[in-house]
Amino acid sequence: MFKRKPGARTWFHHLSVGRLVFLGAVSVLLFFLVLPLVAVVWRAFPFRSEGWLNASTFDALRLSLFTATISAGIAIVIGTPVAYFLAREKFGGKAIVDTLIDLPMVLPPAVAGLALLMAFGRRGLLGPTLSAIGIELPFTTAAVVMAQTFVAAPFYVRAAKAGFISVDLGLEQMSALLGVSNLRTFVRVTLPLAAPALFGGALMTWARALGEFGATIMFAGNSQGRTQTMPLAIYLGLESNLDSALALSVILVVVSFGILAAVRLVSPKGFTLG
Amino acid sequence: MFEIAIRKRLGGFTLNVELTAPENQIIVLFGPSGAGKSMTLAAIAGFVSPDAGRIVVGTQVLFDSDRQIDLPPQRRRIGLVKQDLALFPHLTVEQNITYGLFREPAEAQQERAQLLLRRVNLDGLALRYPAQLSGGQQQRVALARALAPKPELLLLDEPFSALDAPTRMQLRNELLNLQRQIRIPIMFVTHDLGEAYFLADRLAVIDQGKILQVDTPGEILRHPCCLGVARAIGVKNILSGEVVGRDQAGCRVRVGEVILDVLPGEFDIGAQVNVCLRPERVMLLRPERADRSSNENTLQGEIIHEMSDGMMATLFFRAAEARLSADATRDYDLQIELPVYIYERLDLAHQRRWAVSLRKNAIHLIGG
Repeated sequence: MFKRKPGARTWFHHLSVGRLVFLGAVSVLLFFLVLPLVAVVWRAFPFRSEGWLNASTFDALRLSLFTATISAGIAIVIGTPVAYFLAREKFGGKAIVDTLIDLPMVLPPAVAGLALLMAFGRRGLLGPTLSAIGIELPFTTAAVVMAQTFVAAPFYVRAAKAGFISVDLGLEQMSALLGVSNLRTFVRVTLPLAAPALFGGALMTWARALGEFGATIMFAGNSQGRTQTMPLAIYLGLESNLDSALALSVILVVVSFGILAAVRLVSPKGFTLG
Repeated sequence: MFEIAIRKRLGGFTLNVELTAPENQIIVLFGPSGAGKSMTLAAIAGFVSPDAGRIVVGTQVLFDSDRQIDLPPQRRRIGLVKQDLALFPHLTVEQNITYGLFREPAEAQQERAQLLLRRVNLDGLALRYPAQLSGGQQQRVALARALAPKPELLLLDEPFSALDAPTRMQLRNELLNLQRQIRIPIMFVTHDLGEAYFLADRLAVIDQGKILQVDTPGEILRHPCCLGVARAIGVKNILSGEVVGRDQAGCRVRVGEVILDVLPGEFDIGAQVNVCLRPERVMLLRPERADRSSNENTLQGEIIHEMSDGMMATLFFRAAEARLSADATRDYDLQIELPVYIYERLDLAHQRRWAVSLRKNAIHLIGG
């Protein structure tokens, strides 16, 4: 026998059909998302030195960090003015420009890689011209950066654009009326206020570049130390060195978590693509 | 000295504003939402370019379509306080105030910030951020920031309308005090008639993109130039009539079935006029006293509805014998406003039969 106060409710009184459906769906989804991550981490341990410490793992890690950082840097340098322009100016064909910039986010990366090859490859549109001035792009580290930038830069542009739009135009007008030039206004008002969005966008771009596989393998190939980034090394490792693939996977899982946590920290509302 | 005469077309809206204000005066731009008040300020500030015209502040020409002058906002030397304030949220109070002083040495900046903080009664809050201040304090920061670069003209765009009533009253008083110290023209935009009346040296009534009347607030309240102004300033009783008699003593105007005596004026016999009568200027009389000869234009009738906001009561008076209103759909003839304490003293809740006197000097005629 148990007594309870009239009106007090036990946990199962809160259950309704709707709640059960909701709980069931959440459980299935979480299970489906989390189990593979647990599996990859579980298989990577116990720590096996041949997986973590061999040369190809190191090369892939070094190359990935290097290229993803360069790619994110390029996205910031070129994407910031573009995003500001798109956020503030109205012009004919703006919707087309917006769509074109977003396109790589939905385009299959393999298509992006092939497209890059057709443009900058030896027999691509610009191939002969580039050859003539002694530039060979495909299967170089530069090609890796190009593939990553192509695929990842839109993430930065979108986030930065949303960040700039969220800065009230009235603040910039007020700054102008107080005698401050447009450039100085941008640096002292717009940039600081958009900074969380810019930072979040840059992190997401960096993460996307770090994970880039399809476009890279099509356009840059798979040569250790030069174009073999972590995702490529993981793919190759599936046949030759599973321990190495697992080690790299764990690193990428941890980095991904870290990025999302960092993005949440800088912007309470989390990352938005708006 | 401040002078503006501009035209600007935007979609179906045409702004056509002409105004001048002497130094050290507050000119209030008063009108309903969408009348063109904010667009006028945007044109003065240089955020939008007029199609044609001229804007001069002091000796500086800010805009002149004939001479192709259109200074950028940076060079206009105008202070602005908007309703939403537009304080920089990532800067402290002091940094907000010194924001426009970046060309001056640090000590001069700090000195100026201290002076302005004292002037707007914000001593000791220099290191706070805007989000840590009350609405009234934010308001004062915005004002101090606008004044910091020593502008030649101060624009205030409904700066107090988001504040509670006591704070609003206090800031209005502070603004009047400040005005005596800074000696630059101030253009104040509002849709609040009481605020306009309180602050204005000159009042400009704007509607649908046009300035309808510019004068002292008292003169505008007594003698609105046209129906638009009369409605905007709260003339509730606007009755159409016709001048039927005229001599040295005054005119007679037929309104509905009533002939009213009015003061001598410009209108000839046969002229169509609008008879304007402010609701607080209708005098209530006990019915038996209505025939005394000192009373002008008396009417017998009764009160058929009433409303109150707790301070003022609005009574709807219906004339018994001869109606004033030609509008058959309206069941009352006059709106009367009086303070609630008078309403109670006269026992208006129970005593419904009254006479009214429409005094000649309370009646204003506008050509129809």
